[in-house]
Amino acid sequence: MNVPRSFPVFAVVFAAAYAVAYVVCVMKNYALFTYHPAIYEFGLGVQAPKDGPAMYWYGWMATSGIVAAAAAYAACWLPEGLTRRLWSGWSWAVPVAVMVVFCYLLRGYFLR
Amino acid sequence: MFTFLLIIHGLLAVALLGAITHQTLSVWWPARKPAGFVGRFRSVPATSYANAIVVLYLATAALGAIVYTEYRVVVRVVLEQLDLWKQNGVFELKEHFAAVALGVLPAYWYYWRAPLAGGDARTRAVLTALLAFVVWWNFLAGHVLNNIRGFGS
Repeated sequence: MNVPRSFPVFAVVFAAAYAVAYVVCVMKNYALFTYHPAIYEFGLGVQAPKDGPAMYWYGWMATSGIVAAAAAYAACWLPEGLTRRLWSGWSWAVPVAVMVVFCYLLRGYFLR
Repeated sequence: MFTFLLIIHGLLAVALLGAITHQTLSVWWPARKPAGFVGRFRSVPATSYANAIVVLYLATAALGAIVYTEYRVVVRVVLEQLDLWKQNGVFELKEHFAAVALGVLPAYWYYWRAPLAGGDARTRAVLTALLAFVVWWNFLAGHVLNNIRGFGS
């Protein structure tokens, strides 16, 4: 299977942008949709809990996926001279940093 | 139904755990000659595992996402009532790590299929280690949570 020449740029930018978008979505609660598991109901955007808890996790991933795909597609249109200098390590460095941020954000669970 | 899906989720996770562990060891600790159990464990053809790992990760995550709804309604409430905050935190990290690793999959897949230049070999190795860490964390977290209050308990 052949992949387009711009795929490495897409993949690296997607990995970095998705991680950043995801942590922002979690912190600011930018969920594309909400799921109400107790009543098996989806709702557009961020909704308050109805007859049980509201789940935003799926919505955060959807928002992050859209933002990251847009950023990665945009990066593919940049001049090749610029993208050639893109460090492939951003694909892991940013996600690792975001995972550390989550450990910090959730420290309250472990310090009670 | 959720118990059935949880068991399938667990079985897929075991397969994923085995594949990613083989691949990670073969990258970070390659065996010069495949002698003994550990040597053979480290000397698998790691490239051939990449597609299977991507498919297994997606399938395990999809089933986990379905089962998560039951966890949120039935299990998490009990953990909060029992003041099991550390266990709750471990699961919160599991959900966020799983989501972050999803975004890494295209890069992981690409760097396992491309002929590598110098810096890209390190990228491939670190992406593999990152995915292995997430898979191990999520497996152990899910296992511990299920032991505390598995479905049907």
